[in-house]
Amino acid sequence: MYLILMHTIEFENVSKSFSEKSVLEDISFSVRQGEIFGLLGPNGAGKTTLIRLLLDIIRPDSGEIRIFGDFLSPAAKNRIGYLPEERGLYKKTRLLDMLVYLAQLKGIPKKQAHLNAESLLKSLELDQYRNKKVEELSKGMQQKVQFLSAIIHEPKLLILDEPFSGLDPVNTKTVMTRILGLRAAGKTIILSTHMMEQAQSLCDRILMLNKGRRVLYGPVDDIRKERGNNSLIVEFAEKGDLKAIREISGIKKVIEHGKLVEIFPEEGISAQILLEELVQKANLIRFEKTLPSLNEIFIQTLESASNE
Amino acid sequence: MNNFPGKTFIVARHEFLKTIKRKEFIFMTFLFPLLFAGITILPAVLSGMNQAEDQKVGYIDMTGSLGFPESIQSKGFSLEPSEAKTSVVEFVIYKDISDARQALQAGQISSYLVIHEDFLKTGTIELYSLEKEASMQNFELSAELSNIVITSLLKDKVDELTLNRIRDPVNIRFYNVGESGESSEQGIADIFASFGLPFLTAFLLFFSIFSSSGFLLRGVAEEKENRIIEILLSSVTPSEILTGKIFGLGAVGLLQVVIWLAAITLGSGYALTVKIEPVTLFLAIIYFIFGFLFFASVMAGIGAVTSSLQESQQIAGFFTFVAAFPLIFMQMIVTNPDSLFSVFLSLFPISSPVAMLARMGTTSVPLYQILASIFILLISVYVVILLSSRLFRTYLLMYGKRPKVKEIWKNIWTGSR
Repeated sequence: MYLILMHTIEFENVSKSFSEKSVLEDISFSVRQGEIFGLLGPNGAGKTTLIRLLLDIIRPDSGEIRIFGDFLSPAAKNRIGYLPEERGLYKKTRLLDMLVYLAQLKGIPKKQAHLNAESLLKSLELDQYRNKKVEELSKGMQQKVQFLSAIIHEPKLLILDEPFSGLDPVNTKTVMTRILGLRAAGKTIILSTHMMEQAQSLCDRILMLNKGRRVLYGPVDDIRKERGNNSLIVEFAEKGDLKAIREISGIKKVIEHGKLVEIFPEEGISAQILLEELVQKANLIRFEKTLPSLNEIFIQTLESASNE
Repeated sequence: MNNFPGKTFIVARHEFLKTIKRKEFIFMTFLFPLLFAGITILPAVLSGMNQAEDQKVGYIDMTGSLGFPESIQSKGFSLEPSEAKTSVVEFVIYKDISDARQALQAGQISSYLVIHEDFLKTGTIELYSLEKEASMQNFELSAELSNIVITSLLKDKVDELTLNRIRDPVNIRFYNVGESGESSEQGIADIFASFGLPFLTAFLLFFSIFSSSGFLLRGVAEEKENRIIEILLSSVTPSEILTGKIFGLGAVGLLQVVIWLAAITLGSGYALTVKIEPVTLFLAIIYFIFGFLFFASVMAGIGAVTSSLQESQQIAGFFTFVAAFPLIFMQMIVTNPDSLFSVFLSLFPISSPVAMLARMGTTSVPLYQILASIFILLISVYVVILLSSRLFRTYLLMYGKRPKVKEIWKNIWTGSR
């Protein structure tokens, strides 16, 4: 049996420049259906340009972009939800009217748009404000409304540009729960963010851009493993157990930090073998394979890029 | 323009409904007809009320030489002779001023006249009335008194015909000679209809075109300023936004024009019993549509290029100024409608809608000039929409500093996206 992975997005050798300044150079990647795909990179890396290319707001100079397996059509555009980094709402329009209008622009009939808006407002406990003007809502509420406007038409692909910026911890949690819920429902999500912690915990795969070029691409776990130094953190119940390490072969180097020890195994020795041996000789509280955080990788990658 | 009219229609309907709910629109659209009614209907109604009142006027003639009749029929002023209402003024002679004053205070007379002995030298007649009763009728009496004085002074010296000519020397009548040589008479109302109404229509056209295209400018600048444009562009194409806005706000402007024209027709019909020529009405609407399309596209381009409402209004001001030329030079157009300058203004696309309607009010504009003016406007509309939609596409998502003129010029022709 073959497992066919459906690609929601495919970028092939895409380049874009503005006024002879190259913003994206030969970018290729794909996003699978039902995954949360992180789009990472410092300011000016080309993330927003890439998103605008995805939405057909701008066109590439060269290369091909396919969405839902085809070139972007108006019908395909209707299946995309977008939360831009630069937030914007009609301040003087009633909340319900605005949501209905934005849903209609995505091809949803007026009646259905009303139903969707009512149910979403209810789910975020905003239904009592449905007839208020947007400018009368608090900042936190406006941010939730902004998120609603991106999902009102039940898109198959959701592009979120910095969805957590400016959110308080409660709203951050609400939005995170929503995003995970959407993935569970089979939606594909592109998450462009500076917040590496969130990217690490939410994203299945990432693309990191720097100065318009692809610098990292792949599953988050693989990238962390590749970048890791393969060390292990071990914590013993008693300090005396430390001597157990010396009785085990296959360890290249040990760094002690009190009851905590960082172990560097020799080539070809797996963490599993070491664990089995250690358990027999000492009382362990913690045994952990360390991997660098996405944040460390992000900083390292940018530093090495600037040194080149 | 993908799947027209679907999304274009949604944008148009949104813009239409949003704008007609704006306070500025309601104020401009409904206040104007009220003001017009105030200016035209009210004085007619009020003067009509005054004319119906008969009155008694006392007089003390110290010269002893003026022959006052017992009563006269006073004709009030009216634009239509048939509409003029007459009232009777009865003259009562008094020997001295104190008797007349007592009669006035007792309400037996509404006013009294004092003609002093040196009247022939000074020509002065004094009119006394109670303060609260000072009215238009007292001024109208002046013309009647002139007749009485002329008749008294010349009655036995000249014949009846000469006397009539001295009283009413010239009675000018206006005739139009048509192309086939037939002539037709014009009344004051006709003159107002052919001059005043097109002038008014031109004036309103200017306001309507600029208020609707102003709404468009404001809408684009605001959507760009508050960044919602990015969400819109993720759902619809720039052309759909532009077309939707132009149709929606064009409908708003057309609604305004129709309300105003209806108000003028009703108002002027009541006050002057004239009708606006159907041709003028038709051309007013044609010029509104093309004029609006022209300016709306210009405004959309400006709104897209600039980064704030304030900045966009400053640049738009230049175009408004050029378009207001026909209003600024209205005197010249009216007095010299066939001069090279007037013809130029009525052909030049920025000023043609207003200038042509103003010219039509004062002269019979040759058909080829009207057609040429519409043709030039139509071509200009096409070019401006094309260029403006390119700017719209290129600059809608550029925030921050305004692009350089050189860069705009380049993008206008290449339309990069």
